[in-house]
Amino acid sequence: MSFPAEEDDLPALRCVSIVRSFSDGGRSRNVINDVTMDLHSGQITLLMGPSGSGKSTLLAIMSGLLTPDRGQVLARENGRMIDVWRLSPREREQFRLRNCGFIFQGYNLFPALTARQQLEIVLRWGEGTSGREARKRADEMLEVLGLKGKEHKKPAQLSGGEKQRVAIGRALIKRPKYCFADEPTSALDWGSGQVVIDQLQKAAHEYDSTIIVVSHDHRLLEHVDVSYHLDDGRLTETDIPVNRGGEFESWRAGQ
Amino acid sequence: MNYSLATLWHERPRFLPGIMAVAFSAVLIALQCGLLLGLFKITSIPVDNSNAHIWVGSRDVLSVDLGRPVQLSLMARLAVDERVEKVEPYYQAFASWIKPDGGSALVIVIGAELDDGNMGCVNELNQEMRDALTEPNSVVVDRAEFDKLGIQNLGDYAEINKVRVRIVGQTDSLKSLAGPYVFCSRPTAIMLLRNMTPRDTATYFLVRLKKDEDPEQFAADLNQKYEKRRDMDVMTSETFSTRSRVHWLFKTKAGIALGYTALLGLLVGAVVTSQTLYAATAASSKEYAILLAMGIPRRKVTGTVLVQTFWVGLFGIVLAYPLVHALAGLGRLADVQIPLPVELLCIAAVVTLVMSMMAGLVALRSVRKIEPMNLLR
Repeated sequence: MSFPAEEDDLPALRCVSIVRSFSDGGRSRNVINDVTMDLHSGQITLLMGPSGSGKSTLLAIMSGLLTPDRGQVLARENGRMIDVWRLSPREREQFRLRNCGFIFQGYNLFPALTARQQLEIVLRWGEGTSGREARKRADEMLEVLGLKGKEHKKPAQLSGGEKQRVAIGRALIKRPKYCFADEPTSALDWGSGQVVIDQLQKAAHEYDSTIIVVSHDHRLLEHVDVSYHLDDGRLTETDIPVNRGGEFESWRAGQ
Repeated sequence: MNYSLATLWHERPRFLPGIMAVAFSAVLIALQCGLLLGLFKITSIPVDNSNAHIWVGSRDVLSVDLGRPVQLSLMARLAVDERVEKVEPYYQAFASWIKPDGGSALVIVIGAELDDGNMGCVNELNQEMRDALTEPNSVVVDRAEFDKLGIQNLGDYAEINKVRVRIVGQTDSLKSLAGPYVFCSRPTAIMLLRNMTPRDTATYFLVRLKKDEDPEQFAADLNQKYEKRRDMDVMTSETFSTRSRVHWLFKTKAGIALGYTALLGLLVGAVVTSQTLYAATAASSKEYAILLAMGIPRRKVTGTVLVQTFWVGLFGIVLAYPLVHALAGLGRLADVQIPLPVELLCIAAVVTLVMSMMAGLVALRSVRKIEPMNLLR
């Protein structure tokens, strides 16, 4: 499935006929079954579905972490589409370094490092940014996330919501073209969850990032631009959120 | 603060066993090396503490305490060389010591000339002792050996090879490894060792060369000249000293045992350090996995683990060395010399650090196992 695109509006990420199977008790089972989808920059795309439907597997394939058995993941870079899975492992690692941020349900913050250091490390290790510059950018990001004054706090001194905001900061500090979030709000109360989704919206709009969120959380539906439903490895349904109807509603009406 | 150091400090209970293991290794290595060095010195005391340029002994003599008799007539070969200033015979052999109150011990009798220009007397024998030793059947032993030899006071009598001897003096810090040294005059030694040293033989000949003559060259020339006769070995005192030490260290079980203990210490340290770092890295695998997912090269994580091993090693050494000095002090109280020169401590530190880094390399298998994909399952 793909949305129409103007020539100057190529999708940021296009999955074409993705198939992935896993061995299950000696038998091969298709977890992702011929999935095709387009993801656009500046939008949040929600991928929903029951447990075991293949959401996380699809996210891993899209993000260059898990090889598909068949199909292509085309990413737009410098005005052209490159097949992520045709890159060498080293090139793919560099692609992720240039373009990808990740947020997971478990915050996975280094217990020994302060909020600021959690962000700095991405810039210093990833981009070779100088200590001073990394610190400046980390502080700016923490301020945006409402964590000013908590730069010196370690994860044990932060609440769950604050920890997830630091994790978001870590994913967004390099202004990634793609941000992959797996159940980012599942462990949070709705107040904290809303802060998280606000930040992701801000990233989509301000950095023109392509945000892909995998979640069970139906409350996210009204906050995203596009939503897909994955069931048994197939994209079976596409919901157009009410508040985002606009162009997609008119496109659907024209079908 | 450095990220590795911050992690180390934050998770100090986790890293402590590794640091303790490195400290244990460092203590063991430094003390073992100190003991070996002490042993080195003990085994070559007769050579190191005397003043000959050249020692001539039986062919292929392994160590100074293992000299076999050489014919006195061979002295002529030395004396005729124009580079030689003086030659003198030197007697040394194991002998049976009977304590004043009965009981026996094995001793090493050393008999040398006592005159002012002598070469064989250890430097610790002062003029007064050398004068006393001119008395037939008088001997000097080290204070530290008194208990072992059953001596209460100077002036006590004992027996060596069934000859009654009188203790007329004591040295300080000339303890032996194989058996207590018993110093005496050349005539007394001949008398005491008459059953082991045939007439017209000595154990060694000591040579003093004229000024500016090269002992190395002299030894090489004579060995070459009498190569075919195979009846003597000409060595500089440095060569003989080293040969004695090396023999004791590597060809006797004492040296090998000490070496093995040091190796064992290293191994224990390496295993514990490796496991500590492995566990610490595995515990942070999810955090590292995020960074790997974001494309941060695995070598950065590898580097962090190796830096952690460096700090673990360094902290271990810092913790160990005061303990090493304290234990060496205790050793001195028990008359065990454990010299700890700076060079030795530096070498032990480097060996310990290398061990720690090697352990880190082994622990890196936990980094190789980190798989970002696992976070998505």
